[in-house]
Amino acid sequence: MSNNHQRLKVVDAFDLDDELRALLRPGDMVRDEQGRRHRLPRYFYEIASHEEALNVRLTPHFGINEFLLVDLKEAQPLQGFPRYLPCAVRVLAFYLEHFRAAAGASVHIAVNGGYRSPSHKMSEHATAHMWGTAADVYRIGTNILKTKELIERYNDLAEELSDDVTVLPYGHITGKNADDHVHVDLGYITVIPREISEDRMEMPQENRPRFAFEERRRRERRAVISAGSTGQE
Amino acid sequence: MTVAEKVPIAAPSDSVATSEVSLYRNVLQLKKEHDLEELGIAFYDSETTIQWSYSGDHYFHAASTMKLAVLLGVMREVARGDLTLDAPVHIRNRFTSIVNREPFMLDLARDADPDVYGHLGKTLSVRELAYWMITKSSNLATNLLVDVVGIANVQQALDELDIDGVRILRGVEDQAAFNAGLNNEVTANGLLKLLRTIADRKAPCSEEMLNIMLKQQYRSGIPAGLPKAARVAHKTGNISTVNHDAGIILLDGREPYVLVVLTQFPAETGRGTAVADVSRDIFNTLSQLTYEQ
Repeated sequence: MSNNHQRLKVVDAFDLDDELRALLRPGDMVRDEQGRRHRLPRYFYEIASHEEALNVRLTPHFGINEFLLVDLKEAQPLQGFPRYLPCAVRVLAFYLEHFRAAAGASVHIAVNGGYRSPSHKMSEHATAHMWGTAADVYRIGTNILKTKELIERYNDLAEELSDDVTVLPYGHITGKNADDHVHVDLGYITVIPREISEDRMEMPQENRPRFAFEERRRRERRAVISAGSTGQE
Repeated sequence: MTVAEKVPIAAPSDSVATSEVSLYRNVLQLKKEHDLEELGIAFYDSETTIQWSYSGDHYFHAASTMKLAVLLGVMREVARGDLTLDAPVHIRNRFTSIVNREPFMLDLARDADPDVYGHLGKTLSVRELAYWMITKSSNLATNLLVDVVGIANVQQALDELDIDGVRILRGVEDQAAFNAGLNNEVTANGLLKLLRTIADRKAPCSEEMLNIMLKQQYRSGIPAGLPKAARVAHKTGNISTVNHDAGIILLDGREPYVLVVLTQFPAETGRGTAVADVSRDIFNTLSQLTYEQ
């Protein structure tokens, strides 16, 4: 796999075609269950193919594909490729990696449990899923999470990671509780990758496409910077 | 008992009448032998154009024969372009009761379909779910498909084909609904009509439905009363006190016939072989009439 292959393309969703823009609703305000308003994300990773989704890893144990799993409840044009994922998903992957380490076992995100667009049938109110910053974990190691005991045990573990993490208590009321998964929620985080230039214009820019390729993170990125440094700055 | 709708021209009328009387006697005998509380039978033979029923309009608990209606509802959505057979469906064991909107889960230990619940948290396509719902009577696949198309659309599919005698209120294992007496119900004549629309290719995606039904894995009902060469596109249904089978019987050298056998028995009796015995009797009767023609 070439280095180039893992560079994620970041797009301004205002530049996407009309149909996609209408489904992703960049910058729109949506209300949560309490009536509070939140602005939907505008910058997305564009995943060109299923192969790319499988190959690109956000952390050592979480690939892009794990956050893209949806079923027919997602709007049909958003089920195929290219797919769009809010850039804040990288932050979620970071926390899930720590959650995995704390659990000592693999962490499996359910279908419809990663990113859900505002057009997804489960997106009645604003939820962090629409920001790519919540995950519904249905299995940890070989444990399918369907008992109060298991869900509460892993809820505690997730909350102990950081004050940034909230979970849904065990119970049966959809949206308020969870009885067949652990809901790991970071809230409404918006990420704007440093490689893209922000533009206040919220109209498609035909002659000035607003996209960028995110540089590789971690060791590989540092290696590239180091090799390219002239020491003249 | 309904008198034959149409008597075949070539067959002597006394033969048909004799066969009917003989069949009626046999049915009464079988009902007694198997200690059945209720027995409903309906068949239509495309070869002789004979239609016959016994307690054909008596309502039974549908058990898993209701899955034929769900299949019809799914295929209606597919034919309308509102759904594709390749669409992925999240496999999740969480459903909502029609009575109190409370969530409930299926007892997966009772469901004979690791093929479906082995995918918990992942997806299967609508086509795969339809396949497991019919061929292994998967309750999980059924409830997932009911969630996908909605009960209202299942009933709409039945109404559009003027199928009465099939009342679908809910998915399966909704205990609160069961306790409230809200059950899916079928009559032999209702299921006969449903199957005839498939056999006559009048239902949406009939060919697809037939192909799935031909792969039925439970064969102790109608097929057990037939020669091994017979191919049967069918759906069984049984709970503690009912045992049903409804199918389209395809035999070489003759037109198909459609048969529905519904039985209800005391809980202590067990289901026995009544359905297979009725199937054998009907086959023998029709063979005789066909031969005489």
